[in-house]
Amino acid sequence: MFQITDIPRILPEILLMVLALLVLGSDIFEKWGRSPEAQLERVRSSASLTAIGLGLVFVIALLQSAYLPGTRAPQAPAGNAVLDWLLSILRNLQSGGPGGEPIIGAFATDHLTMIARLSFIGAAFITSLLCLDYRPSAHPAEFYALILFSTLGMCLMAGATELVMAYLAVELTSIPLYILAGYFRNDTRSSEAGMKYFLFGALSSGILLYGMSLAYGYAASAAAGAITANDLTQFSRIAALARDAGPGVALLTLGMIFVIAGVGYKVAAVPFHGWAPDVYQGAPTPITAFISTASKAAGFILLFRLLTVAFPSLSGSVSFGEELGGWTSVLALIALLTLIVGNLAALPQTNAKRLLAWSSVAQAGFILLALVAWAAPQAFDRNQGAAALLYYLVIYTLTNLGAFGALAAVSLAVGGDEIADLNGLAQRNLGLAVLLTLCVLSLAGIPPLAGFFAKFYVFMVGWQAGARWLIVVAIVTTIISLYYYLRLLRAMFITPPASKEPLPAPPALTAAVSVAVVALILFGLFPNLLLGILSRVQAVAGI
Amino acid sequence: MTSAIPLEAVLVVAGALFCIGLFGALSRRNMVGILMGVELMLNAVNINLVAFWRYLEPRYISGQTFAIFIICVAAAEAAVGLAMVIAIYRNWLTVNADTVDSLKG
Repeated sequence: MFQITDIPRILPEILLMVLALLVLGSDIFEKWGRSPEAQLERVRSSASLTAIGLGLVFVIALLQSAYLPGTRAPQAPAGNAVLDWLLSILRNLQSGGPGGEPIIGAFATDHLTMIARLSFIGAAFITSLLCLDYRPSAHPAEFYALILFSTLGMCLMAGATELVMAYLAVELTSIPLYILAGYFRNDTRSSEAGMKYFLFGALSSGILLYGMSLAYGYAASAAAGAITANDLTQFSRIAALARDAGPGVALLTLGMIFVIAGVGYKVAAVPFHGWAPDVYQGAPTPITAFISTASKAAGFILLFRLLTVAFPSLSGSVSFGEELGGWTSVLALIALLTLIVGNLAALPQTNAKRLLAWSSVAQAGFILLALVAWAAPQAFDRNQGAAALLYYLVIYTLTNLGAFGALAAVSLAVGGDEIADLNGLAQRNLGLAVLLTLCVLSLAGIPPLAGFFAKFYVFMVGWQAGARWLIVVAIVTTIISLYYYLRLLRAMFITPPASKEPLPAPPALTAAVSVAVVALILFGLFPNLLLGILSRVQAVAGI
Repeated sequence: MTSAIPLEAVLVVAGALFCIGLFGALSRRNMVGILMGVELMLNAVNINLVAFWRYLEPRYISGQTFAIFIICVAAAEAAVGLAMVIAIYRNWLTVNADTVDSLKG
């Protein structure tokens, strides 16, 4: 049942939707002129409304989760009328904090959702800052509203505990992203990227849906005669029915494989990665940053929740030589392919954006290692796997936003995104070069940046789960990956530039990238800042 | 009614439709053709859902609701897809998916 007290629990989602409608609506009151000044004015007002709104929603979600030390509202009144009023608002807000049963069985607001929500809204905030100077075409309000709708979809995806909800959230995330990838309609590369993203995405949602329909069919046949409510599409109900392992588990297994294939497209893991390099290269760079981080992270969180909550009885094993079967084995195989193909394909690239695209494909392989950890027999190791997954996702989101953001600044000023365009960047804009360097080193996993600890952590949990063969491959491919990451550094610091004139970087863009990089260094030096929060994820609804 | 045709027969039809749609989506060159293949796949899913609902839990509505949502979303998706085909046609003067291939490497 939906109750009125559930509204604070979905407050960030409601606010995102209101903000999106506000951005769309406020554009009507702008001056619509054909002159460049009038157009720039419209872009600026939509962009700043989006950025300010997202910042506010982020702060509200952060206060609601009470993750920051000292933000938990005290129960005792403070004595001051205004202060008490604010405290009671905060208390009401935090009553919708982590925990509680999923709302109408479809949307859980546990720690997993809270953390995911914060990272998606944060990523959308940074993306909107990156877009400030990256002038979208004639309809700026739609551009920002689509980013907001997509963020809303991601938040719903992270919390979905029911098949229909999960599907709707996936589509709400993807459809705006198709449009955003092809937003520059008159640009051949952008429209081609949008088209490819759309075709692959539509195909993958067909496959995902077929898997979901089989899972539903399994639940309906296993529960035959004992159905008392419309709950057959809930993850936990499917798991409960599968635990009794009636006949027809093959149907559920088939459904699971289709679902993994469908979500595998969204996260660009290897046999399903065909679209990723083209789309990442062709889409507007800030949108590439958004697709490669938030959308991928949402896919991983959906995959985690779907597999651990709905298919725990099919988890299987990953140790070499043991009987392979179940989703951890499938994911281990996908991770193996992703690591090898992603890292090797990045080696010969000459376009910096495409190189980073292949590197994002390879990073998906490392993230999959954390999911594989679910094969571990002890609950402690499984929880470590969940924490490692989220740590990697948060760090990866920050790093890739920073890297693509810095690249956006360069291509905005130079007009291209080849590696040759980065030549001698250190002499032309030292600050930007240092920021990009830090992001690239974090992607490569060099200590003391956060990327190192994230990689170390997923290797550790994968090793505990028994996937030693996979970890050896992962370490070897990490070393290979250094080659292509260092090529970017060589271009920036050693190769002489074509011209020595300074390269201007827009202040909002530089600020956004700096925020990401500062967070990277901070979380790299003090991983406990984040791990303390992430270790609470053990209480995933329904497991 | 439901006893005349077994559930398995309906599922085989849906499976065949899904395979035809997948084959169409993977083998067609024309972008509109690919979209048609995807629509076939979605309709196979709808047949599956409605069949499971009708045969296994006719007193509840999970499967039916799911199918209705899929129909709605498929319409929205097709609208976006066809708009993109038009954008591609304006830039490339073709809707052949193999020709539209400037991004590679």
